[in-house]
Amino acid sequence: MTERLIADIRRRTLLKAGTAAAGALAFAPMLRANDKPDELIVRAWGGAWGDALKAGVADPFTEATGIPVRLDFTEDNEIKPKIWAAVDQGRVPPIHVNWDTSTNATISALRGATVDLSELSNLEGLLPLSQPVGLDGYPLVNTYAYVYVCAYRPEAFPDGAPTSWDVLIDPAFKGRVALYDDGIGFNPIAVIAGGGTLADIPDNMEPGYEFYRKLKANEPLLGEDSDFTTWFQNGEIDVACTISVNARAAQQNGIDVQWTVPEEGCKVDTDGLWIPKGLPANEEFWAKEFINFALSREAQEKWCSLLGLPPVYPGIAPPEDLVGDPSYPTEAADFERLVSIPSPVLVENQPKWFAKFNEIFQG
Amino acid sequence: MNRSPLSGSFLDALEAVAAALWPVRLRGATGWLFIAPALLLVGLLLIGLGYMLEYSLHELDLSTYRLQEAYTLGNYAVLVDQPVYRRVLLRTLLAAVLVTAITLFLAVPYAYVMVRTPSSMLRKLLLVALFLPFFIGQVVRAYGWLIILGKEGIINSMLDAVGLPAMDLIYHYPAVVFGLVQYMLPFAVLLIVPAITAIGEDIELAAESLGANWLQAFWYVLLPMAKPGLVGAGIVVFTLTLTDFAMPEILGGGTTDFIASSIYDSFFQLSNAGLGAALSIALVTIGSVLVAIVFHLAGAGTLGVRGQAE
Repeated sequence: MTERLIADIRRRTLLKAGTAAAGALAFAPMLRANDKPDELIVRAWGGAWGDALKAGVADPFTEATGIPVRLDFTEDNEIKPKIWAAVDQGRVPPIHVNWDTSTNATISALRGATVDLSELSNLEGLLPLSQPVGLDGYPLVNTYAYVYVCAYRPEAFPDGAPTSWDVLIDPAFKGRVALYDDGIGFNPIAVIAGGGTLADIPDNMEPGYEFYRKLKANEPLLGEDSDFTTWFQNGEIDVACTISVNARAAQQNGIDVQWTVPEEGCKVDTDGLWIPKGLPANEEFWAKEFINFALSREAQEKWCSLLGLPPVYPGIAPPEDLVGDPSYPTEAADFERLVSIPSPVLVENQPKWFAKFNEIFQG
Repeated sequence: MNRSPLSGSFLDALEAVAAALWPVRLRGATGWLFIAPALLLVGLLLIGLGYMLEYSLHELDLSTYRLQEAYTLGNYAVLVDQPVYRRVLLRTLLAAVLVTAITLFLAVPYAYVMVRTPSSMLRKLLLVALFLPFFIGQVVRAYGWLIILGKEGIINSMLDAVGLPAMDLIYHYPAVVFGLVQYMLPFAVLLIVPAITAIGEDIELAAESLGANWLQAFWYVLLPMAKPGLVGAGIVVFTLTLTDFAMPEILGGGTTDFIASSIYDSFFQLSNAGLGAALSIALVTIGSVLVAIVFHLAGAGTLGVRGQAE
């Protein structure tokens, strides 16, 4: 009898202990889900772009949460295949958050490499611009708009800012004009500058290609963001199609450069943030928290003010030096002079436009 | 031979370990052991090329940005159908030929002086000047040329100081060729120096004693005997130029892309791994065929590699 009682007690104890252990094992992941990671890695563009993200979002986020944020300056085009390979192979991706062009981010979303961000609390109340076009839910969140302006050296334009993109094909500026080396930011504008209309995009780009052939004869320089700053600084160019952020940063660093929106208009686009799939649960949680913070009024105000770009958070006043600036659209009328092409159209057509751009300029 | 007891014991221990790891019955395969690391490296390269070949046979699906399952030669058809790739390839090949010719033209006298000079100070100076660029990467050197040759660079500042107009010294094809020659020169010299060193000075003296002047001895005696070095240097410079990325990208102004830039654009700009792989395979094939032709014309022993029977 006593032996049986002892055996019963031992069995009950064992069962209780086993149940407790099983419960602990089941709940542990949930408790660990919010464990703070050692750091968050955010891919960013360098120079003024990275400085703005650090001051406007990363540092305040670190102060609020204690999680250090490391900016990874790998080129947006170069990180893409690394992330895609990691997702496809079931590995942890190399970054937590990708600060990317909306077009690139859309491509990653189409590939199924992005985490859905629909449940972020700070999505509420944002401008419609924040929502990605042509995609279900929020595989990415757009964070601000930016304009590809006509930047110029005032010294080369004593009579005032150029009024038309025809300045790029003016022989007086032969060898002293610049574009992005893939035509980004100018392809649709080239159509209008070449005598076409918005309705021609994307099915009839020939007016734009004809403009590019004339531009080719003017021996333009083709490069990236950092090249434009160097070229303006070294007096290599007089006029360029570049993002207003770059022109403003150059100006703030003492380089004599200004910008305008010519009569044909300028392309307006958005950048966004997205999270690659495959992160551990706790890291994905805090990556979402980072993006959620980036959408808060505090972060949007500081970040976008430093960039000089209109945020997706409504009601934020532009920086003093950009009040009334056509590259900082705030009213509906401002957007009338700007050309916006939906991301799905860009995703589908940019490879074809690039191929033609390449064919013309590499000839 | 005097050998300290300590080194003797160490060598004995080493021999014992070697004998345990590589017993006598495996001695016949010792040669394979020595080249095993190189074979592994080459093997990995071939596996990578195999993957590239596989990728090149799939086209990109623009709706998912993944390569399609179906096998096709569509990417290769693009290379043939789109004239831009022919133009870029021809531009690259021309640059490779020009850079090779100019580099060899400059490298031979440099190597000759370095080997033949009786002045050890001059030899050291030439050696230092040769090796210094190796401490600076290609990208830094390219940016250095921008500073020297730019519109407001050192050269144009000097021209301006004497009242001359500024010149366009960068952001075009000649600037790229110039930058590449400057980058390749040390490689060529380093490959030619051993070839000239192997030619005894008495051979040139013998030629001169038979009536040849210095130039004739150089052209008819030295250069043919230095052929292994010249061919080796030529192949190295040619293939490095063919595959170069940084110099055309930085000094070319965006309108003088080489084939490496097209490959980069395909992989990263267009996210089209299939097309990028096709371009890569085309480049490797063309480069290999040209090198094979050179070996065929110059002879199998052209790099001084000869079998035991020779």
